[in-house]
Amino acid sequence: MGQVIQFAIDVLSLGSLYALMALGLVIVYGILRLVNFAYGELIMVAGYTLYLLDGTALPWLAMAAVAIVMAMVFGVLTEYVAFRPVRMKSVTAVLITSFAFSTLLQHAALLFISPRSRLVPTPALFTRTVEIAGVVVPLRNLLTIAAAVAVLALFTFLLRRTVLGIALRAAASQFRMTRMLGVPANLVITSAFAISGLLAGVVSLFWLGRIGSVVPGIGLEPLLVAFIATVIGGMRSLPGAVVGGYLLALIDVSLNTALPQALLQFRDAFTFSLVIVLLLWRPQGLIRGPATGQRT
Amino acid sequence: MLRVSGLHVRYGPIAAVKGVDLEVRRGELVALLGANGAGKSTTLLAIAGALAGRQGRVELDGEAIHGLTPERIVRRGIAMVPETRDVFADLTVLENLRLGGFVHRRTPGAFEEELERQMDLFPILRERAHQAAGTLSGGEQQQLVIARALMSRPKLLLLDEPSLGLAPLIVEHIFALIGRLRESGLTILLVEQNAAQALARADRAYVMALGTIAAAGPAAEIAANTDLEAIYFGGKARGARA
Amino acid sequence: MPDRRTLITLAVLVAAVAVSVAVAELSGVRLIDRVVTVMCINLILVLGLQVFMGNSGILSFAHIGFMGIGAYTTALFTLPLQMRGMVLPNLYDVLATVELSPALGIALGGLVAAMVAAALSFPLMRLSDAAAVITSFALLVVLHTIMVHWSEVTNGPRTFFGVPEATGLYQAAGVAVLAIVGALAFKESRTGVLLRASRDDEVAAHTIGANVPVLRWRGFVLSAFMAGVGGGLWAHFITSFSPNAFYLKETFVILGMLVIGGGATVTGAVVGTIAVTIAYEGLRAFENMLNTEQVFDGTVVGLTEVVLACAMIGILVLRPEGLAGSCEIGATALFRRRPQPTGERP
Repeated sequence: MGQVIQFAIDVLSLGSLYALMALGLVIVYGILRLVNFAYGELIMVAGYTLYLLDGTALPWLAMAAVAIVMAMVFGVLTEYVAFRPVRMKSVTAVLITSFAFSTLLQHAALLFISPRSRLVPTPALFTRTVEIAGVVVPLRNLLTIAAAVAVLALFTFLLRRTVLGIALRAAASQFRMTRMLGVPANLVITSAFAISGLLAGVVSLFWLGRIGSVVPGIGLEPLLVAFIATVIGGMRSLPGAVVGGYLLALIDVSLNTALPQALLQFRDAFTFSLVIVLLLWRPQGLIRGPATGQRT
Repeated sequence: MLRVSGLHVRYGPIAAVKGVDLEVRRGELVALLGANGAGKSTTLLAIAGALAGRQGRVELDGEAIHGLTPERIVRRGIAMVPETRDVFADLTVLENLRLGGFVHRRTPGAFEEELERQMDLFPILRERAHQAAGTLSGGEQQQLVIARALMSRPKLLLLDEPSLGLAPLIVEHIFALIGRLRESGLTILLVEQNAAQALARADRAYVMALGTIAAAGPAAEIAANTDLEAIYFGGKARGARA
Repeated sequence: MPDRRTLITLAVLVAAVAVSVAVAELSGVRLIDRVVTVMCINLILVLGLQVFMGNSGILSFAHIGFMGIGAYTTALFTLPLQMRGMVLPNLYDVLATVELSPALGIALGGLVAAMVAAALSFPLMRLSDAAAVITSFALLVVLHTIMVHWSEVTNGPRTFFGVPEATGLYQAAGVAVLAIVGALAFKESRTGVLLRASRDDEVAAHTIGANVPVLRWRGFVLSAFMAGVGGGLWAHFITSFSPNAFYLKETFVILGMLVIGGGATVTGAVVGTIAVTIAYEGLRAFENMLNTEQVFDGTVVGLTEVVLACAMIGILVLRPEGLAGSCEIGATALFRRRPQPTGERP
């Protein structure tokens, strides 16, 4: 019984982070059909914001809010620098600019801050543990799950109940028609990037809370995670991204307990091979996205 | 009200529209006719601002609008119903209509008021309000896209092939509706392959062939000219009629 | 028989390599010698990437993974037998007795890379756009993970050392010239021409009977072969390396060279490699100067990459066809003596 609870909480807390990460990638991909390689760097930006604010008199929650806002600002900046100028050109061009922007942000952090890791402030709450049915669980894991539920609820409300949200969903299937109803293309795209930044910002708080520090290359792992989760769930489906995130966590946690140590180090090779196979077998992912669409 | 002059559109190396001039006056129903590939839909899309490679002048009430993005053109009062229908299949009927009213989202009460009007005009949409638009039949979807376009309270409605692929009874219904819209004072530019139906209701008509305007005149005159029909509508001779 | 323009292109590009070698040779400075050698190796890698990306129009992230395969293959087979136990204590017995010359090792490295590519990539070639990019990225991660953890043959994440030094300026330059010939030959071959047609219009290419996945696959395998050879040459130049040499940073540099020069042409690959090498070395010298002079408090790192990233974005926004433009050098006005006699068009 204890093991089951332990396993479930591990999967749910890890899956919450994965799901939010994947969602942030898909919201942009769904509308623009473009992969944002600079997405992981938003976590880095939030991390360094926390680091720079450490030592100020601000309470942790205020620092966290500033970090999330910075992630959103950089999300929108990504759009202005790497996407907008080349959006109309070619798919390859945008992929390269976002890859270049990712490198740019990483090396800017190297240059202006430090190649070495920097501690980020974490609230005292994160280090506490609670006991559930005899199992000692870090409170941080429960907070992660709660935060994910709250963000997902907010996200669903936004997409279902607000005009902007409806426009975002519409743009994901018929971008041109959405524009012909008077919805400005730039509004839709900028909102998507801002939401993407918001999700990355929330993830960063818990992701960094687990590690406790930030380095310039921190964005790679969350980016890879988001890739796998979106491919599993369906590149263009928002619910698919969430399902993919939790599924990936299930796979990861299961492999961690099931695989012998010698094979465990190849876990990434296994999961990425799974990605390749899945893309070949079902390019749409497990959950299909909206009907068709064009990007202009 | 709408004046198009010297409109050219290219898709890469192919010129689809080669110097079209046309005019739509306030309150008119103008039909734009022609065989498949004559450039009718392209002309409409170019007026709506949805095509990149266009040249020429488009004026609405004397103001140039050809440099504007599609979203700005809607704000100026031109609404488009594309040939491909383009309902947002995953969104409900109500959500589709809500997007149609996007340009007036800041005016309190505007959406509800306009929604009531459209629901009265298209009762079927009231029944289907909470269904995903993709589950509607072809005729219902056509009514939805027209209603959605009207939600923006346009001065000018661009209608592209509203009868395409619909059963004869529904086609009848749609044309009756277009007639009513015209009577209510809306200005309409209608692209149709179903020339007989369109000419029966239009005030004037343009006939396009190979990307240019081949003939223009009052609808009755165009309808009477059987030569034109043989040449441009395909008709009996070539059987190209939809 | 290749046409006149292609031959002019070949001559000019080979001359560019020859001039670089001559500069290095005449200067007599060891640093310049090394810079030009690395440039020639990078040129092979960039040309390899151009063969696939330039002709198919699909971005591939896996390229540097194949470079790694080439490097580790030749390192493994050329490592002196008496050093094997020290470098690779857990090496399989079968492999512990074979020792090849560097030239054979490099060729084998290219072949192994090509074979791995041939076996893995065929199903991937059906994919386009984002799916193709993500799978190639996934492939890079898989190859990297294997290099990091297959300790028996790669020494794991630790440094693989003791590779015999065999790559000099002339070897690197010679292979670079072969790579130019190969890239031009592929571009003008039937496969290359059809592949470029499919890049511009996949549907149209189908209608003239092109089997697009097969065409892409051929390009990909040749591209992997060139990457493997480039990796092998690099291994025998640097003599010790770790798996991190074959990951995103190297990908960024090689991709940057191709994009800045212009991915659609072989000329672009050459121009980009030379331009970025000069800029890169200049910036690195500047960075070192800042650090030795202690202009700033801390050490300056990353400036080079920041500038290169900005240049890449700038090029893609302002001049998407790259510095070299969209024609090969042999087809530009510079070499057009008179109008073409087949003057159907004005």
